[in-house]
Amino acid sequence: MKIAYNEIGVYNLSVLKETKRWFKHGLISAEQSESIKAAYQTSLFNPNLMIRILLFVASALGLAGVTGILVLLSMDSSENIIPWLCIFYGLGSLFFLELVFIKGNHHYKSGVNEALLYHSLGFFLGGILALEINEHFIAVIGFIVFSIAAIRYLDLICTLCAIASLCGFIFFELNEAGGWFQALIPFAFILIFIPIYFFAKRARGKQALRLWYDNLLAVEAVSLLLVYAGGNYFVVRELSVEMMNLYLEEGQDIPFAIVFYILTAVTPIAYLYSGIKKKDKVLIRVSLLLLALSAFTFKYYFSLGHPEISLTIAGAVLLLITLWLLNYLKVMRNGYTRENIMSEKWGDANVEAFVISQTLGGNQMPDRIETGGGGQFGGGGSSESF
Amino acid sequence: MIKGLPKELLDKNLITTDQFNKIDPIVSGKIISVFYELRALLYLGVMLLATGLGILIYQNIGELGHLLSIVALTLIMIACFWYVIQKGLPYSNDKVKAPTPYFDYILLLGCLLTIAIQGYLQFQYQILDDNLGLSTLLSALLFFVMAYRFDHVGILSLGITALASFWSLSISPQKWYSSDFFSMESNLQITAIVFSSVLAGIAMGLDVKSIKKHFTFTYINFSSLIYFVGATAGLFMGDYYYSYLLLIYVGCVLSFFFAKQKRSFLFLLYVFVFGYIATTYLLSDLFFDREPELWFLYSFVSCGGFIFFIIRYRNYFTRKP
Repeated sequence: MKIAYNEIGVYNLSVLKETKRWFKHGLISAEQSESIKAAYQTSLFNPNLMIRILLFVASALGLAGVTGILVLLSMDSSENIIPWLCIFYGLGSLFFLELVFIKGNHHYKSGVNEALLYHSLGFFLGGILALEINEHFIAVIGFIVFSIAAIRYLDLICTLCAIASLCGFIFFELNEAGGWFQALIPFAFILIFIPIYFFAKRARGKQALRLWYDNLLAVEAVSLLLVYAGGNYFVVRELSVEMMNLYLEEGQDIPFAIVFYILTAVTPIAYLYSGIKKKDKVLIRVSLLLLALSAFTFKYYFSLGHPEISLTIAGAVLLLITLWLLNYLKVMRNGYTRENIMSEKWGDANVEAFVISQTLGGNQMPDRIETGGGGQFGGGGSSESF
Repeated sequence: MIKGLPKELLDKNLITTDQFNKIDPIVSGKIISVFYELRALLYLGVMLLATGLGILIYQNIGELGHLLSIVALTLIMIACFWYVIQKGLPYSNDKVKAPTPYFDYILLLGCLLTIAIQGYLQFQYQILDDNLGLSTLLSALLFFVMAYRFDHVGILSLGITALASFWSLSISPQKWYSSDFFSMESNLQITAIVFSSVLAGIAMGLDVKSIKKHFTFTYINFSSLIYFVGATAGLFMGDYYYSYLLLIYVGCVLSFFFAKQKRSFLFLLYVFVFGYIATTYLLSDLFFDREPELWFLYSFVSCGGFIFFIIRYRNYFTRKP
């Protein structure tokens, strides 16, 4: 399928972004940077993150106004016609997006694009939902629509929604089938997302699919997470109790409990090992996150009752290991280095400072005796650091 | 990362062979930097350790094990500062590069442990009885001294938040949504406006004198957040709202010039968001109460106009390298 934007423009833009990082790290000179800019021109309007957020919020507000006016106008129409109005309005706003913003003004991930896209998809899918079609098809339609949107507009949130629809489909169908199929849901997730992971990983290396690099990266990382979630004891147990009305007596355990214990412990380590072995950053980062989640899972069910001691020991061990690694990687080993050879776009001292001020409790000083200063620990750590 | 790009640029003679040999292993993943991963782990380790130790010393007070933990804590703290003083480079008004990759985190751990010990001493021996404010001020002082001496913008931000909390101001975006950010009676919004104006004034003074210019962003970021939130809270209280409206507009103008000078879009975002909130409040007070339908029209027209404005002057909003 073709993308909605000018392909050469999108590629040139990504070249410019990449070489800008090279320039910042002193790998190429200013004149070279300029001549690359001249060779890779793009007419796309792709503002930076702040302006993008601003445009997104403004567009969302403006669209809410439009919706409000339309609701007022269509108050009198009969109930049967409203779903169809929604569907046509959704399609109409999609055409508006394509004609006015993408073709007309060369917007590319500008914030306006996203707002209009989600707006129209929301109406389209909402309209379909309101038609009360066969419930087996809902997730399928969601998957198809989000996949098309993800491919055509290179949108990351649509990519994630497509995966979520797929998950919903698997879960719903197996849950409906009942009996043994319910117990197989975790294994179904593992068995379906392992091939998806390898497919995405292969596809990401393909020259022909370079425009979808970020989307495939997202699929890759999320597949790894889902394979882990399928085997995680906490996830399986709590979802079984919540969603499938599994009733556990005192001392009773979920089916195949031992399998899930083993998977919870082994999966992150396997990820980390193969990540280091294959020099795969996605695997390494995901595995670090999952190690923390696994530690949390075991802690949750086998607590020793002394969180402060576990925290202290975990912190000390983590610090010592990291200090050792930093010293070990003083010289490059097997291609691994501790030096910052290419900045990430979010890696910024000012951002880090803000995260520190929000997580290390500068705010909590006056009442630190009551709270012991530990109030913000849970939410802060893993999400921001990884 | 675009795998074939270095080759492509080499073929087009846009980079030299030397550069290609340097860049290609990085882009193709033959060389992998674990810089960010290790930093994240260090940060996590410091956070866990400081939190764990902080709780630990408040428990089992008076027992032998407790005394030992205090001694151990003090020893670790001394070790941290000893390392920092040994390795630290001399003070400079400019940016100082950390001598080792973990220098920043050892300094951070040392500071956090000092705060924990100080809090404990106060609790145990009632040194600063009933005077938690003073201890907060002392923490802030320690943070500022360390931040300037060893050039650590993270500790600076801890210092600013501690100083703000001395004035009972809490700077955490998570809390803005809860209603008790500013209570009605205490007139905290005035404290917020005065505090942030003074802070911003000092920061700009230091910036002009070229003392730690790279700290300015953090200073101004915190002050504008406190300022705008304070003024907006005042606005919504209703009494004297014209004066708060004026204050917001003044803040917007100042932030706009700062954004322009530093080429920072974050401050432009603040200008538009708070300016829009203030203007909307004014208009709703003047017109919309009578005609609710106008809301829809207003949101459509104002946002449409805004989008048009940004697109029209898009070159102005594109970052120049």
